[in-house]
Amino acid sequence: MKLLIIEDEPGLRETIEKYFTEEGSICEACDDLKSALDKIALYEYDCILLDIGLPDGEGFSVLDYLKRHNKNECVLIISARNSLDDKIKGLNIGADDYITKPFHLAELKARVLAIFRRKTFGSTNILTYKEINIDLLGRNVTVNDEVMILTKKEYDMLLYFIANKGKVVSKNAIAEHLWGDETDLLDSFDFLYTHIKNLRKKLTELAGRDFFSSIYGVGYKFI
Amino acid sequence: MKLAGHYNRASIISSLSVLLISAVAYYFIIDRIARNQLDNDLSEELSEVVTYVNSNHQLPKAVDFDEDQTTFQKTTITSFETRFFDNPFIDRKDNKAENGRAVAFLLKFKGENYIVTITESLENTEYLIQIISIITLILTAVFICVLMITNKYILKRLWSPFYGILKQVSNFNIASNQRISGKNTRVDEFRELETAVSKMAEKASSDYRGLKTFTENASHEIMTPLAVITSKLDILIQDETLRPDQYAQITDIYKATGKLSRLNQSLLLLVKIDNDLLQDADKIDINTLILEKIQQFNELIRNKKIELSYSPGSATTEASRYLMDVLINNLLSNAIRHNIENGRILIGLSAGRLMVQNSGAVEPLIQEMIFERFYKGKTSEGIGLGLAVTKTICDKYGFELRYRFIAGMHSFIIKF
Repeated sequence: MKLLIIEDEPGLRETIEKYFTEEGSICEACDDLKSALDKIALYEYDCILLDIGLPDGEGFSVLDYLKRHNKNECVLIISARNSLDDKIKGLNIGADDYITKPFHLAELKARVLAIFRRKTFGSTNILTYKEINIDLLGRNVTVNDEVMILTKKEYDMLLYFIANKGKVVSKNAIAEHLWGDETDLLDSFDFLYTHIKNLRKKLTELAGRDFFSSIYGVGYKFI
Repeated sequence: MKLAGHYNRASIISSLSVLLISAVAYYFIIDRIARNQLDNDLSEELSEVVTYVNSNHQLPKAVDFDEDQTTFQKTTITSFETRFFDNPFIDRKDNKAENGRAVAFLLKFKGENYIVTITESLENTEYLIQIISIITLILTAVFICVLMITNKYILKRLWSPFYGILKQVSNFNIASNQRISGKNTRVDEFRELETAVSKMAEKASSDYRGLKTFTENASHEIMTPLAVITSKLDILIQDETLRPDQYAQITDIYKATGKLSRLNQSLLLLVKIDNDLLQDADKIDINTLILEKIQQFNELIRNKKIELSYSPGSATTEASRYLMDVLINNLLSNAIRHNIENGRILIGLSAGRLMVQNSGAVEPLIQEMIFERFYKGKTSEGIGLGLAVTKTICDKYGFELRYRFIAGMHSFIIKF
């Protein structure tokens, strides 16, 4: 997957670049509107991460440009404004998703992959990871051709972990992904353990191996 | 008492007393003048009598005119000082005694001494005084009536710009963009007042707007560094050579940044409501909304072994969907957050009224404090803005939000 990161904050740009760069993925980054438009004009990308507040203008013009030139890149808007208007405006002129700062990189990656899948797979929306096969439309999961029954939370979590395979994902990130704003209502992460324990057990039973490794109380890694 | 009332009272008291004092003074002065006048008349009569006696060498007959009566009385006194005095005047026609003024003097005639007394009636003078009194009384009454009418109508009109400004000042809402303007008045003081007040209001409004813009910008600006911290942490934990205690610290930093960003979002929401930026309005079915929220919180409620019972009703309101969502969300999440293991939540909805009750601390909350920004209970893990946001939303739509401690249950009641 080829990615363009348009973000003026160097700290954020670099970490996103680092997180997304892996085998089979190329990341390019730029920090203003002008260089972004130059890059888009020259190259094709699979997905564009677009910050709205750029030093030389609003990121919305990138969307306009893409629309005018019939370009088909997926666009995910990154914004400091949790504004419904901005969200609606962005989605109306061709963005695929909208994420508000601050966010976890794991969340960002899951979102990027989700919109990328939506655009590229078309109607046969099958996601395969090692022994696991997921029919994204029917929300059916099979492991070694055996059906695995998952709750909604477990299913969400599985997709989230597959998107962030090989990365350590913090418990905070998982909790925020699953419960959103209600995360602060969780007295402890005990709640999360239960869900992970169940998913882990189901996967281990069917695949015959453990996909998870837990990292010292900070989070989990899915391999 | 209104200003006009005070003014009326003062002006009527002062003018009445001035009028009364002057009436008394008037009476005495006129009386004095009249008596002097009479005394002059009597002196003239006196000299006429003397002239008559000297030229005619005989006493005049005790002629009775209408105005005066003259009497001659023989006397042995040889010296007598001429004097003026009050003497009853007997009207011969109806034999009635009237007030009169008299002069008595010694007249020497043909070696004999007479005391001559000339009396004049005071009736005319008294009549004059009466007339003057009546005219004065009527004038006083008219004057007071005119004064009251003037005070009532003219003062009212004169002060109307003041009341106009006063009304605007008391209705002044710093958050709205209204300006204070005076009606055109020719009174300098009111013009100055209007200028001063509108300047002050504009200054207050612009300071307030500035502060809000500042809050909004500050909150937005904080989001980017927060995003940097979060993403740096996400990268940091990829390093599997970290020690467990370092991971523990990272977890704490995650928690703090999470809290900071939620705090920021609540602040932004408050600013948005204050700025009236959320103006969308839909017809909201509150029953459906509550059912959705119960579904959403179901897992958390079960996790805490809370028993929830909902007695549904039908209630709708016209409001922003987002804000109503936040409202119900805050009420319910508070009821869960501040609840105890095996506790209870009761939700009751009826037309125009929603009550959310939860078990929890045994002490009632402090009604005056709980809706303040950043107020929170000793044990609260929250950021202290939840109820402030709830209250602000209720205020925006004119809902009444109250807290009651009923039979050990913390109860929040909203009247739509």
